[in-house]
Amino acid sequence: MTFREIKYKKFLLVALLCSIVNTMNAQQDRKISFVGGARSLMNMNALSVKDSTADTTTVKNKNGGYALMDLGFNIRPNKQTEIMGMFRIRNEYGGFWGSGVTFDVRQLWIKGVVANALRYQLGDLNLKQTPFTLYNHHADQIDSLPGVFKLQNNIVSYERFYMQNNSWRVQGAHVDFGLSFAKWIKEINVNAFITRLNPTDFSSVHDRLMRGLTLQIMQSKNLSLGYNSNTVFDVKGTVSSGRLFSNSVNTFDAKYFKKIGKNKLVVHGEIGNSQQKYTNDSLAPLLKDYFIHANAMLEIDQINLKVTAGYLNVGPDFRSIGSQSKDVNYNAAPVYYNRYTNAQLIRPNTLSDLIGNENIYNRTISSGMMATSAVFNNINPYGLATFNRQGLYLNANYKSKESLEIQAEYMGLSEIRGQGSFALRQFSQTKMYVGLPFHSLFGFKRKISLQLSSKMQNTKRNSEKSIENVSMKMMQTSVGLNFALSPGFEILVGLVHQTNNGSEFIADRNTYSEIVYFHQNVFNLQQQTRAIGLRYNFNPKVYICALYQQNLYQDKTKSIADFNTNQFGVIYSITL
Amino acid sequence: MKHSLLLLLASLTLVFSCRKDKRMEGPSIAEIYSDFKLLEPFKLSKDSVDFKNGETVFFSASFNKIVNWEISISGNSSKAKKIITGQSRVISLSNALWNGSTTRFPLFSAENCTAKLKIEDVTDSFMLPISIKQIKVNQGFLVADFETGLNASWTKLIQSGANMDFKVKTDAFSPQATSYLNMAGTVNWDYLIGLIDFPAKAYNSAVTFPLNANADAVYFNCLIYGVPNTNTSLVLFQFKEDENSDGTFNASNEDEYDYQVTVDWVGWKLISIKYSDIVTLVNGSPSPAKGNALHNPNKLSKISMLHLANPNDGFASTKIDYLIFTEGKTLEP
Repeated sequence: MTFREIKYKKFLLVALLCSIVNTMNAQQDRKISFVGGARSLMNMNALSVKDSTADTTTVKNKNGGYALMDLGFNIRPNKQTEIMGMFRIRNEYGGFWGSGVTFDVRQLWIKGVVANALRYQLGDLNLKQTPFTLYNHHADQIDSLPGVFKLQNNIVSYERFYMQNNSWRVQGAHVDFGLSFAKWIKEINVNAFITRLNPTDFSSVHDRLMRGLTLQIMQSKNLSLGYNSNTVFDVKGTVSSGRLFSNSVNTFDAKYFKKIGKNKLVVHGEIGNSQQKYTNDSLAPLLKDYFIHANAMLEIDQINLKVTAGYLNVGPDFRSIGSQSKDVNYNAAPVYYNRYTNAQLIRPNTLSDLIGNENIYNRTISSGMMATSAVFNNINPYGLATFNRQGLYLNANYKSKESLEIQAEYMGLSEIRGQGSFALRQFSQTKMYVGLPFHSLFGFKRKISLQLSSKMQNTKRNSEKSIENVSMKMMQTSVGLNFALSPGFEILVGLVHQTNNGSEFIADRNTYSEIVYFHQNVFNLQQQTRAIGLRYNFNPKVYICALYQQNLYQDKTKSIADFNTNQFGVIYSITL
Repeated sequence: MKHSLLLLLASLTLVFSCRKDKRMEGPSIAEIYSDFKLLEPFKLSKDSVDFKNGETVFFSASFNKIVNWEISISGNSSKAKKIITGQSRVISLSNALWNGSTTRFPLFSAENCTAKLKIEDVTDSFMLPISIKQIKVNQGFLVADFETGLNASWTKLIQSGANMDFKVKTDAFSPQATSYLNMAGTVNWDYLIGLIDFPAKAYNSAVTFPLNANADAVYFNCLIYGVPNTNTSLVLFQFKEDENSDGTFNASNEDEYDYQVTVDWVGWKLISIKYSDIVTLVNGSPSPAKGNALHNPNKLSKISMLHLANPNDGFASTKIDYLIFTEGKTLEP
């Protein structure tokens, strides 16, 4: 049987399924529904390289794109059960029947309720616990991304199942149930799951699973207490090696809510510990540590202001696979122009990759410690769960009735244990955001809004030994404009600019996440990405947008060649 | 109760806040970036070594700081090279053991060698002589090393194109022992330049190769040479399983697994693949296997090796040597 015949058979299978589903739909109203979407993306790309010798090796112009359709069948065979199966057909532009066409199952799950008490879901799941147990921090994302870049960023989020929240897509089983009480305790909610992080290769890699439990006690509408547990472990016997990895995190959290006149006060705290070890591996260290996170939020209703102050203390040996997995994989090839210059060096990841290149993003949790980037986030690369950090943060958020929005945040952290030095690094991060909806403020009929944001990170270490000194600054600013030309039509303009200056020691870590070496890196880097788009919204779920984008990468230390890329693309998106 | 809990939380925060760990994580930066000093000289555990009898040799040295180092051992006559690299303060048995294996082909012969230690950012290098008494013997099932020419039990099909040179050669190009198979020619009407079938019966009386039944434990290895400035060659290996043990491979209902190598490099290169990772190909695209769809290396009855090239390209040339199955790991030549 040829590959073409197999595809034809798969097509027939889907057609048959559609036919059955249609029949069922006709016979039993509302038991079947269709979900999904379609997208077409075409782009033309041009690269220019500024090297000491002209790059005559890299192909400079590349065109590409794809059309895809996701078709999901949501089947409810009875009131207690729901089944979702989603297929994807994707065709690369320039491909033809039998070549460039892929046919995949995008998601498959079944969920239901047992005895009107126990909810369950099997198959694909999106899970989230607390920021220290299981959480997708999106730590390196650009804050307040201008709307023109959100088009691409939303595609990444959809492709990687980020669901616009902090959950991770996994495969496994999940159950939850709740118990209500008449006295002392209002209710207890229990969530438990088990998922597979990586399958065995039957040779040297064990099956690695993650199990989790969240127990939430609602004492009253003002007070809730919780216990969270997350354990990643190798399944013994799945390969002949007896070397078994395990990482467990246990935390307690409490949340207290109090209304003070028209104002609200919310106090939240979480404390816990972790243990990571390998059994039958004499070289592996036992890593044990704890963390504390506490904050208080005051919402002052009269002036539409929310103020939060928090304290963070995460030990140097705190390890949590579920909360220290990153969405960005800096070791992944960017695919577009992944090599350049005559020496065909690997192109570094840039701002534009971070914004919209799905190839560098992970779909699920990593089974080991992931690489970080000092360029994009040197302060808290694993979000709140970044180990070896302690300090305070403060943020304020103002939103007027006219939707004028002002946000400010300051974070001051320090290391707990010195790295390569007994002196400790000091970190600070300042963020500002202003959203100006001119149409609301001045009563314009057409929507016109401007957003401005900036983020500044500062890392410093002053040591008695001057070679150990660190001084590194990152400044990221963005501007976005959204202007409605007529009903449906809008112009989107955006710019993100980033500079990195200074020097920092980058740690090499072994497979046990221990530091084995330091490389001194000097940064004098400028990046910019700017875009303009014309978008027509057929309705809130369907749009077409023509987009022109320029990206600049300039390394003034000349350790790698500068380059620019220009991109013109058309995105057509439908959500069913 | 609420206030007690809050008080407890606040107390815990105060108790554990502002901690300082007096240990240092990782090596000292001041030490890494200090001037280099050799504390113990570069030494060998023995001057001559008999790899055939299982002997090994290790290097030793120590420095005042962690350094990136490279030991390259070169065969004085074969020009074979073994490279061992590391990042440490000490070079010892644990990180600088040599079992006679090769990094850059040809393989070592019984010869005198020179070991050279280079340290990153240090201009001086350190050299030692070492002698190989007998070379390493690789464990595994040898399919072909062409040392005795083409076995009469192998089936050959060589096209009659222009400049055909599809024969065993004995010259300095040989990466292992003295001979290899040269595969070159121009066939402008077909992708196939030539093929050789290696039937199991050529090696023993059984209809299948004597391999482990566990497809995850069996690795196929060979050495392929990429000729510089020539058209792209493809080397296709077909692994044909006689699932019903009737002595014949039936293409319509028995499994054939295929491994196609695009020769896009220059020089000799070791190619290794786990048997369970080999898929069925139809016109170069993955397809379902036609038999039981299980990888059964113990039922492998014939291996076909095809040299292919685009007929529109013209002359294509490559060389091959040392086709060998290993168990548990890839070949470490």
